[in-house]
Amino acid sequence: MSSSVQSVVSQPYKYGFVTDIEADSLPRGLSEDVVRAISAKKEEPQFMLDFRLKAYRRWLEMEEPSWPNVKYPPIDYNEIVYYSAPKQAESKLGSLDEVDPALLDTFDKLGISINEQKRLANVAVDVVFDSVSIATTFKKDLAKHGVIFCSISEALKEHPELVQKYLGTVVPVGDNYFTALNSAVFSDGSFVYLPKGVKCPMDLSTYFRINNGDSGQFERTLIVAEEGSSVTYLEGCTAPMYDSNQLHAAVVELVALDNAEIKYSTVQNWFAGDENGKGGIYNFVTKRGLCKGVNSKISWTQVETGSAITWKYPSCVLAGDNSVGEFYSVALTNNYQQADTGTKMVHVGKNTRSTIISKGISAGKSKNSYRGLVKVNPKAEGARNYSQCDSMLLGDTSNANTFPYIQVQNSSAQVEHEASTSKIGEDQLFYFAQRGISPEDAVSMIISGFCRDVFNELPMEFAAEADKLLSLKLENSVG
Amino acid sequence: MTNTVSSASDSVGKVNRETYLKHLLTQAAAAADESHLGLKALRDRAIALVNERSFPSGKDEEWRFTDLSQMLEQPFQRAQPVSVEADSWSDHLNLLTEGACLTTINGHYEPTLSRKADQTADAVIIGPLSQLLKHPDYAKKLAPILESKLAQVKGGSEVFTALNTVGFADVMVVWVQADQVVDTPIYIARGSQGGFLSQVRSLVIAERHAKFTLVESFFGQDEDTNAQCSVDQDRVDQAKIQDTRCNNSVTEIWLAEGAQINHIRVQDESASTFHLAKTAVDQAANSQYQCTAVDLGAKLSRHHIEVYQSGPQTDTKMYGLSALGDRQLADTHSLLALTYPHGSATQIQKNIVDDRAHCVFNGKVYVSTAAQLTDASQLNRNLMLSTKARVDTKPELDIVADNVKCAHGATVSQLQADEVFYLQSRGISAEQAQRLLLYGFGMEVVEKISVPALKTALSTRLRDWAS
Repeated sequence: MSSSVQSVVSQPYKYGFVTDIEADSLPRGLSEDVVRAISAKKEEPQFMLDFRLKAYRRWLEMEEPSWPNVKYPPIDYNEIVYYSAPKQAESKLGSLDEVDPALLDTFDKLGISINEQKRLANVAVDVVFDSVSIATTFKKDLAKHGVIFCSISEALKEHPELVQKYLGTVVPVGDNYFTALNSAVFSDGSFVYLPKGVKCPMDLSTYFRINNGDSGQFERTLIVAEEGSSVTYLEGCTAPMYDSNQLHAAVVELVALDNAEIKYSTVQNWFAGDENGKGGIYNFVTKRGLCKGVNSKISWTQVETGSAITWKYPSCVLAGDNSVGEFYSVALTNNYQQADTGTKMVHVGKNTRSTIISKGISAGKSKNSYRGLVKVNPKAEGARNYSQCDSMLLGDTSNANTFPYIQVQNSSAQVEHEASTSKIGEDQLFYFAQRGISPEDAVSMIISGFCRDVFNELPMEFAAEADKLLSLKLENSVG
Repeated sequence: MTNTVSSASDSVGKVNRETYLKHLLTQAAAAADESHLGLKALRDRAIALVNERSFPSGKDEEWRFTDLSQMLEQPFQRAQPVSVEADSWSDHLNLLTEGACLTTINGHYEPTLSRKADQTADAVIIGPLSQLLKHPDYAKKLAPILESKLAQVKGGSEVFTALNTVGFADVMVVWVQADQVVDTPIYIARGSQGGFLSQVRSLVIAERHAKFTLVESFFGQDEDTNAQCSVDQDRVDQAKIQDTRCNNSVTEIWLAEGAQINHIRVQDESASTFHLAKTAVDQAANSQYQCTAVDLGAKLSRHHIEVYQSGPQTDTKMYGLSALGDRQLADTHSLLALTYPHGSATQIQKNIVDDRAHCVFNGKVYVSTAAQLTDASQLNRNLMLSTKARVDTKPELDIVADNVKCAHGATVSQLQADEVFYLQSRGISAEQAQRLLLYGFGMEVVEKISVPALKTALSTRLRDWAS
């Protein structure tokens, strides 16, 4: 690989600052008492405490999965702080004016405007700082349409029946090691409820930030789209630079009823560790959508650029007849990053369709794996799947893998899978150079073109951010 | 992707699996003692390996979709030499009427059913190891070869491969000397009858620039086929149990620089057989290896083909066809490990699954940092003919080098309605059209077979199967 490409893909992490803010944390470690303490702190109803304790007991019996194609030293779950909140957020805020200015500054630095007046884009934001949600914007506007958009702790107080009805129905408590952990200790996250027939008037968004060096973040997102409703949801994340590894184990559950549509986009830019692989976030996330009703649709789009380790498979269970699942992903790994990501499409209903487009870019000494499952159940007549996973290797020390599982038990199904690997050729760079385009611009353009299929699926605001993010990774290039 | 095996039933299964593997190991060790081949060091190493391993269960990633638990009900005994009626095997043996032929029944060499090579004995050394060792010249020549080649291809630590090393009764040796071109195919015929554990082994060596075609064929006979019609149900069941057998086969193939082997493998075992097979290939620089594997028979068959490079610029072609019905299961596991530059590889695996049959494919392609300028492609196509059929496929790529071209694809579907319609619009009935399309689907693989007699036989077989 040419040195220009090498230098092009390395750029500093600009979100690595720490906000010095008073935090209210629980002591390190995990026990039943900690689970009870979290629940008590959040003044949760009894069913929630039962849910958490059940999860905790399940977790104790489970083993950490060893099958992912990633390597990391064993995690000491008793060294983690499971609850950390900015002091001020303890008491419920009346308005944004009461938010600690240091916090607002933090989010201004990140380019997230929680100040509604200064808004440019028509996006409602829920902001999660360490363990708690500190602000949700546009709540009133949304309420006019009957849309509930708030932090999940608020939802537990104000709409416990909705949370109880859907929480844990898509991702069961004991689904895997990390969902059990999350179910026991999750502290906050977003809750979205769309009533029947409502097209959400604006895009909804959550911004996650881990600030405390020893805390893990365990957030939980639940989106319920009633009959005929639709919503676009965006998620972004950053963290400061620490030498130690932090654990982020989130669970996202989506439920789409008849004719409903949920579009969920993520731009993940957790701190990835330094160029020697020190520090960074362990991003062990379970995301799953249930297309419960007929003609429902769930679409996942993700741009994964951060985290030391990513372990994430946003999935769709296509239970309703004619339901549609989509997965569009760009995963960029550099230095010592490891990503084992992909999707699961489980076809249960008749005439269900799914599309998987995955683009992996690996540079440095990183490891990038696509792991996917397409499963067609015996009763899923006329199921249709198309999968494409392309890898691009920058340098001969990076690693690209694909592990696509295809399991078909219905003969009327039609399943196609394609995969390829490629690199940026010297001839391509030369071609650009002939036309007066510098190597770094050329690489940026080639990568941008490589990811085009996925970026096209992102909402406008995010597409811009994703493009910026990738080109940021390509900054400081002339070698 | 989570394990849902309950712990209680698993612990019971584990005990069974352990004792069962111990049983197989005892049988294998006893077979080794009876073989009088020596090779003690080799066998001891393999025994140690088997002791480290466990009998595969659904929890092992490599065996997730191939359930061997039905095997646990069969307390297989090692196969003993049997008296052979030549006539009863003629159908299979007459497939190839020219060239050298090594026939074993239940893993024991059968001289009456075998044929000598046309070439001078020094140019092409073909025969069972037990006989070759009796010849002082050969014994001397073979000693270093056995040391460096027998059970030395990578991947020998896999449990069934190790078990085979512990207990093969004999080794069919095909050793073609440098610059020799053998025109007629070399045929290794593996017949079996009765309900035994037979472990068959072949060692195939092509020295520098040697070139030949190797045909391996596996087939079986049900002893009491006639009796079954007349006697009462209990005895039929009894006969069936007796006839359930396990064939554990390992073929090691070594290609020296510039050697070419065209390997054809036909698995047509009888319906109650567990067929577990490993083909391990080592390719030196500039060598060419082609494998065409056709799986038609057996109750449960697994073909594990592994190709390793030991030099640059190798060419590897793997073609496979499985045509299954009833409750058959066929599992093709392939590993292509490319560790030298300029390798090229093509793989096409086609499966047709009918009734309640189940087809498994796992194709792994590994490209290391050193393997720059590799060109590898892999295609797996599955046709499902019935609603109860099942296909599990997993094409895997593991790539570290950047200047490579690697692609894979997999499809699962039934016959395309528009293709059938096209033929119908030309006056061909829907049924005929379907047959024609199936035949065409399978022939893409059968056509790669370079031995005319075999190609004709298999295409007839395929046509019968399709109708």
